[in-house]
Amino acid sequence: MTFDLTLSSSDLLLLAPEIFLTIWLCVVLAVDFTFKQIDHENLAYLSVGGIIATLINLIWFDYTEVQGALFKDMFVLDGVAIFFKIFILIATAMVLLASIDYVKSFKFFRGEYYFLVMMSALGMMFMASAQDLLSVFVTLEFSTFGFYVLVAYLREDQKSSEAGLKFFILGVFAAGLLAYGISLVYGETGTLVFSEMASMPGSYGLAIGFIMIFAALGFKIGAVPFHSWIPDTYQGAPTPITAFLSIAPKGAALAILIRMFYVALATFKPTWGLLFVVASILSMTYGNIVAIAQKNIKRLLAYSGIAQIGNVMIGLAAGTKRGSDAMLFYLLTYLFANLGAFAVVIGVSNLIKSDEIEDYNGLNRRSPFLAAAMLLFLLSLAGVPPLAGFIGKLYIFVAAIEQELYTLLIVGLINIVISMYYYLVVVKKMYINEPHDPTPLSVSTPLKTVIFVGIAGTLILGIYPKPFIDWAVAATLMFSNLNAPTASAPAALTSLAGG
Amino acid sequence: MGQLALQATLFAPFLGAIVLLFVPNRRPLLVRAVAVASAGVALLTSLFVFMAYDPDQGGFQFITKWAWSEELGIGFHIGVDGIGAPLVFASAILLFAGIFISWHIKDRTKEFYIFLLILAAATIGVFMSLDLFFLYFFYEMSVLPMYVLLGVWGSHTKGYLSMTDSEGRKLRDSVGFILNFGANSKEYAAMKLTLFLSAGAVFALMGILLIYHFSPVQTFDILVLREVADFDGTLATIIWLLVFFGFASIAPIWPLHSWSPVGHAAAPAATSMLHAGVLMKLGHFSIIRVAYEILPETTQELMPIAAVLCVFSIIYGGFVAYFAKDTKYVIGYSSSSHMGYVFLGMAALDYISLTGAVIYMFAHALATGMLFAMAGWVYDQTHTRDIPSLGGLVKNMPFLAGAFIIACMASVGMPGTVNFIAEIMIIVGSWEKYPFQVVVAVLGIVLTMAYLFKMMRGLFYGNMSPEYAHARDTSQWVDRLPLLVMIGCSIFFGIFPMHFYNVVRSTVVPMLDRINQVSPLISQNTTGLFP
Repeated sequence: MTFDLTLSSSDLLLLAPEIFLTIWLCVVLAVDFTFKQIDHENLAYLSVGGIIATLINLIWFDYTEVQGALFKDMFVLDGVAIFFKIFILIATAMVLLASIDYVKSFKFFRGEYYFLVMMSALGMMFMASAQDLLSVFVTLEFSTFGFYVLVAYLREDQKSSEAGLKFFILGVFAAGLLAYGISLVYGETGTLVFSEMASMPGSYGLAIGFIMIFAALGFKIGAVPFHSWIPDTYQGAPTPITAFLSIAPKGAALAILIRMFYVALATFKPTWGLLFVVASILSMTYGNIVAIAQKNIKRLLAYSGIAQIGNVMIGLAAGTKRGSDAMLFYLLTYLFANLGAFAVVIGVSNLIKSDEIEDYNGLNRRSPFLAAAMLLFLLSLAGVPPLAGFIGKLYIFVAAIEQELYTLLIVGLINIVISMYYYLVVVKKMYINEPHDPTPLSVSTPLKTVIFVGIAGTLILGIYPKPFIDWAVAATLMFSNLNAPTASAPAALTSLAGG
Repeated sequence: MGQLALQATLFAPFLGAIVLLFVPNRRPLLVRAVAVASAGVALLTSLFVFMAYDPDQGGFQFITKWAWSEELGIGFHIGVDGIGAPLVFASAILLFAGIFISWHIKDRTKEFYIFLLILAAATIGVFMSLDLFFLYFFYEMSVLPMYVLLGVWGSHTKGYLSMTDSEGRKLRDSVGFILNFGANSKEYAAMKLTLFLSAGAVFALMGILLIYHFSPVQTFDILVLREVADFDGTLATIIWLLVFFGFASIAPIWPLHSWSPVGHAAAPAATSMLHAGVLMKLGHFSIIRVAYEILPETTQELMPIAAVLCVFSIIYGGFVAYFAKDTKYVIGYSSSSHMGYVFLGMAALDYISLTGAVIYMFAHALATGMLFAMAGWVYDQTHTRDIPSLGGLVKNMPFLAGAFIIACMASVGMPGTVNFIAEIMIIVGSWEKYPFQVVVAVLGIVLTMAYLFKMMRGLFYGNMSPEYAHARDTSQWVDRLPLLVMIGCSIFFGIFPMHFYNVVRSTVVPMLDRINQVSPLISQNTTGLFP
């Protein structure tokens, strides 16, 4: 294998968003070092400006259909990559804005905070383009690196250090699994590129290798049984980082999962379909049931996130083009609802210094805006119309029923009811209970912006999702060949349905 | 014109809710004015739709269809048939009346009206959806506002949910929820109602997804599905059972009724009215819209299930209502008993009885709305719903007592009210097929009379306890208007039912012809009660 690393200017164009962001984050760091007296708030706006410029660049790429592959297919820019990059950047911009008030409480390293968040985002953008096991490993470690620091950012807080340590040890373990899995797969197939693996015969080595890779990525997305780090890390990490962790790495890892299973392992779909069915059922059920017992809002959202990932994996279990469309759309709905909910949590914890659900008592009296926003976000997560979460869930269930995954569907539907309980308990605290301390709460402008973006996303995706559904469908055009008719349908049922 | 009116009926309350978001809470009069304006628009347009519906033409009218997602086969498709039109009208009446009934709510008035408007608008949405997706969309949307309405503005029945264990430690909510089945707190009622209805809804959703998947065209459009879908065998049975029991849980059919009286008792008056008046009819309506339209043959086979269960509904609800000591429990159980009549009328699959069932839904909405409104007034004045401790209120509230008697008469089905027409049609229409059930239903009417008169005696006659001497009658026009509107509608349609009857019948006849594969299966008087 020889690498031809001569790049033409048109090749560089494909890398433009990443190159621009790399330069920009160096600029942010340089500004922070050079102008010691600069208000960190301006650094945040500088970073967000850079991200918005990158976003515009990517949207233009999507619009003009700029696509291609670089470095022997190690880096690819296609619909899926662009979708996930935009996804990650929206999440990053929202997290940066939501961080501004929180960062004020830091004594040191305020500037580095924004640098590290953007560096992780950069790593995840590369993850979305990884089309080769080697680049999977490198980009995954690149993105996690920033998180190791960020999770433990509150140096004086014991919980934060604990969270950082747990995240680091398990993260490194996952990296080891990933490397071992990759070496097994390479040993069996002699290649690292996904598209070249597609024609390889199956073998035990390949199966074990991919299960290990799945475990490492399952760690990133927080699927049961690889979830154990999630609650403690989420609780201990600075809340904006929890918000970031709960959405962006999941998106990036799902981009790799979808590429790996849809492209490299397309022929073994019945086998890995089952893998996702099991992981999905476990994640949904475990996440929802354990969430009921939580007393801390960050832990509640952590477990709810595990359950949501279970829902997302229904799309992967379906293993069709429809499944991938539904998954992409679901992630969008999850992005706005989840980041919105975390923005409210950040707002409340900035003001009352607590994340206990008990302290949300009477929030409606203290701040009708925060309570109403939280109500919308939680109901969207629960999947109540006319909010985004409902359309996402319905879409993903449609994908499941097309593959006749009845068990998965029934478990998913029952889980909607279970999840409604704990979301409604929070609603009860906010609206029904009386506050311990009735002082009104006010929200800062940047945070308000994030919450409004969340509300807008949740409502628009719920009431008029067509453009976003169309975008998801267009982004996954390369999986059209997977749109095969249901092979597993019992003949009797098919004939009953009249075709 | 009709299309616009129908759209206005649906969107006016939503628009009202959105406008209310921007009205400051410290101006309650403006808040109420906005709510009244949007409900008034909905009332007038729905009346127009109901009157303009052309029975000679029949079928679905005033149809609007906008593309929503071709990818999933969903269109925003609304329109009404002879069953939807009166129910849309009933929802609008109850919303309008409910806004006046809750005129004196002081706590977070704005939020209350926002949730109430969303609840009513979603209900109206179900009655005009011609797309399975939007039917479910509005159905589920109508359930959630109930949680907040009950929880925040509702009232406890017997003390608060105990959240401490025997040693005084604080319990988690989940533990309290699971271990306090006897509790009658509003939080418990709200949670039970929401979870119960959501569970029912997901069953129905499973049925809807199966219909979507196994129909030859991948669409949610009911008008397309009823033409192309052809289900039979096990698959049809499974779908039908999912749809029937999923939607019947809101109806509520015995044994899925237990959430309903608890919910009624905890809810504020206006919410009880909408809940008992129209929310429960979503169940019957959705069964008619989905099962009757898309699975006609299976309906014909399996509808006897409803005929069996409705007996339990009627008897059980009636007896519990007789022995209940809480005004709202009496009315709540009476509602779940009366919903048995609708199921009986539906189960007989006869022109007269199904027409009667639809008219009964409308009639019951008005009668129960009145009863709940007045029970709410009595509660606001006396702060108790315990019948034995009340009495003699007629001295203080002569107007209310008079209206209460009319409401009781309507609920019993006295000639002159629309309830009478509905009841007699259900009884006459079902006699041939289900004579036993008809006997039970007639006994149920006697039972209704017994418990309503017992409640009336307990509230208004006998000796008055001095602590309620301050209780006031409805004296302002805002308090009397809603009652008069509901009484007026009940009596007007009781005396002039022809248009109503023709509207319903124009839809019922072709629907039943499809289900019964055109008449020969059941011999019946096709000219109807009103030749």
